[in-house]
Amino acid sequence: MVNTLAPEAAEGAVRGRPSAGPAVGGRTRARRRQAVVAWLFLAPALLFFAVFLILPLGFALLLSMSRWTGFALGDIQPVGPANYTGLFASGSTFLVPVLTNTLLFALGSVALALAGSVVVATCIDHLHLQGLWRTLYFLPIVTTVVAVGNVWKYMYEPGGLVNGVLNALGAGSVAFLEDPDTALPSLVVVQAWASVGTAILVLTAGLKSIPGSYYEAAALDGAGPVTVFRRITLPLLRPSLMLVCVTQFLTGLQSFGLIIVMTRGGPGGATDVAALEMYRQAFAHGDWGAASAAAFVLFAVVLAVTLAQVWLFGRKGEDA
Amino acid sequence: MTPVPGTGGPSRRLVCALPPALLAAGCAAPHRGTGRPGDPIVLTLLSHYASGALREALQGPVDEWNATHDRVKVRTLAVEFTDLLTTFMVRQAAGRGADILHPYCLWNGQLVRAGVLRPAPPGHAEEIRRGYSAAAVGSASVDGRVYGYPTEVQTYALYYNRRLLREAGVGGPPRTWRELEETAYRTSRRDRYGNTLVQGFGLSTYDDATTVGQTLALLNAAGGTFVSADGRSTAIDSPAGRAVFELEHRLVVGGAGAPGVNVYQAFPSGRVAMVIGAGWWTDSLKALMGRAYGDVGVAPVPVPRPGGRRATLSTGFMLGVNTAGRHPREAWEFLRWLNTEKVAAGPAGKGAGVTRMSRLQVSVGSLTGRADDMRTLLGEGGDPNRHAFLDALAYAVPEPNGPGAQAAKSLLRKNVEALWTGQSSVDEALRSTRRQVDREVSRAW
Repeated sequence: MVNTLAPEAAEGAVRGRPSAGPAVGGRTRARRRQAVVAWLFLAPALLFFAVFLILPLGFALLLSMSRWTGFALGDIQPVGPANYTGLFASGSTFLVPVLTNTLLFALGSVALALAGSVVVATCIDHLHLQGLWRTLYFLPIVTTVVAVGNVWKYMYEPGGLVNGVLNALGAGSVAFLEDPDTALPSLVVVQAWASVGTAILVLTAGLKSIPGSYYEAAALDGAGPVTVFRRITLPLLRPSLMLVCVTQFLTGLQSFGLIIVMTRGGPGGATDVAALEMYRQAFAHGDWGAASAAAFVLFAVVLAVTLAQVWLFGRKGEDA
Repeated sequence: MTPVPGTGGPSRRLVCALPPALLAAGCAAPHRGTGRPGDPIVLTLLSHYASGALREALQGPVDEWNATHDRVKVRTLAVEFTDLLTTFMVRQAAGRGADILHPYCLWNGQLVRAGVLRPAPPGHAEEIRRGYSAAAVGSASVDGRVYGYPTEVQTYALYYNRRLLREAGVGGPPRTWRELEETAYRTSRRDRYGNTLVQGFGLSTYDDATTVGQTLALLNAAGGTFVSADGRSTAIDSPAGRAVFELEHRLVVGGAGAPGVNVYQAFPSGRVAMVIGAGWWTDSLKALMGRAYGDVGVAPVPVPRPGGRRATLSTGFMLGVNTAGRHPREAWEFLRWLNTEKVAAGPAGKGAGVTRMSRLQVSVGSLTGRADDMRTLLGEGGDPNRHAFLDALAYAVPEPNGPGAQAAKSLLRKNVEALWTGQSSVDEALRSTRRQVDREVSRAW
């Protein structure tokens, strides 16, 4: 960027040569003008940031300690930490099943997606037409969550594809989404399936960045494929694994669309998760205070889980 | 570009003027007339009659009003039902609430607590109490105070498939719970893999109507209520509530109910023998089933014992006036014209007098709480299945609508689903519902 104030500043400096005082004043004025221009350039971005991030965050924090029905801003009543204590009070469903379901859903989908993507990415790394395979596995990502949810819902139904296969094999039908014991694991499978594409993309890029000389050296030393995978591939893939783990966990903890399409939190709250509960509290029950408090609790959980993952991967790296 | 000292005026002025201008443009009130003497007042009406026949049905009388009234005009706004409450909230918070609101009566307590609904003036309240069934008036009231004109009223009755009952050797619809159970077991069929071929009694976790609506209809038929008279606690663990939970549990355990089945698809395709549903479904069934609709019958909700007093659930909508509206008197006048003034029932101005709202509702396959209008409009030659819903207007119990009603309904649904899917026993489900609903409704007041 061209500094439009530079000539003027230089001129001031030349003019101010006989005595130091006016020269310093000129430099200060120039710097101030530069600062003003810089702020003006930054202003749109800062305004956007303030309006769409800081303001809602502050408002949500205020609401989390207030009682508000969502209709008139003048009706916001401060209640202190009551909304937070209410979430964990006796009779509240927030801790069990909502928060536990959220964590189980995130943990299950991350574990499944990570394991699946490591295996698939390693296989793709040894195949021809790698771009084609990566594209095929990436396809679920470009499909909307509503379409994914509805297709899987039909597949899970008593007369659906999955039960059809089970029946053809002589097994009885399973009420995947209607049985509280199988509903959450069934959703975990869909979430993992839907997110495995991104993970494969990141991991194949990670595999490409591992120098081939390590594998050559291992081959010369007579290391088997399992040893090579455990001692070379996995440790050097750690940064990619961390990225996948952290982003998938974030997605899993905030999951909403897939669950509202497939089960709406049922049966009997077996698939109720935090984001769905917040939506229901705010928009259906008109309890914006409880919804905002739940949002901050979820934020704390997300932060804690992310920091724990970063710490864990960092520690493993040092150990290696 | 080098700024010229002293000529930063226009840009500074622009910078100063732009935010207020944008703010004014963004927060400008919707068109409600100019407010100048002699200019018409424009009232906005926000409803869920967003598409198709519903939209046209409402627009007809509104156009008639606008053509015959110079001083006050009405403009309709519509959103899908799923977005209606959210739209009320967002518009109200932004100071753009419509003058006339068309809420689901379940939300009335919530809207009254938030100060959104204006109580009906005494003259209008009196007209409403006099002209509508008790269930409709109850739906449009909170804590005994009337807040609007009831529009569509849905009563619940038992839909049954004559062919399936006949094939199972059952002569007619059940009148008591014992007959209901026997018929349900006799009509149920499953294949060797456990897939449900015919569900004897449609217990479905599909939506609120099939879960909560059905449970509350049975509860009312057993003489029970979901919440206490003051609305501050639940009465679900009464003997009537326990009897309903036990009945539903027996039906599921005995294989007569399959909660995972979507009854809205399964009943029209002849895979459900009986299900409790609301009156609006008759028209949908007619369209979906074609000639097979002849197999569909409707009977009152069975009662626990022979000769027991009939009762069922009713739900509904109403038209109320926003407290934030600037022309409440004109809004109430329009509502009176729409809901109480009588016009000819038939085409070309023939037939006995009915209200415009009654005519509108019947034209879209629904009912209002005005039994006399309904009898006139449905007449002798109409669909006999609708008469069971019409008769139920006399004994239906309105859905509870206190401030925490929506939350209480969600909690009841969760616990009913937990009971049906074997997560809870009857005792646990009753205890859990009591604890959770009591906490919610007492907090809401």
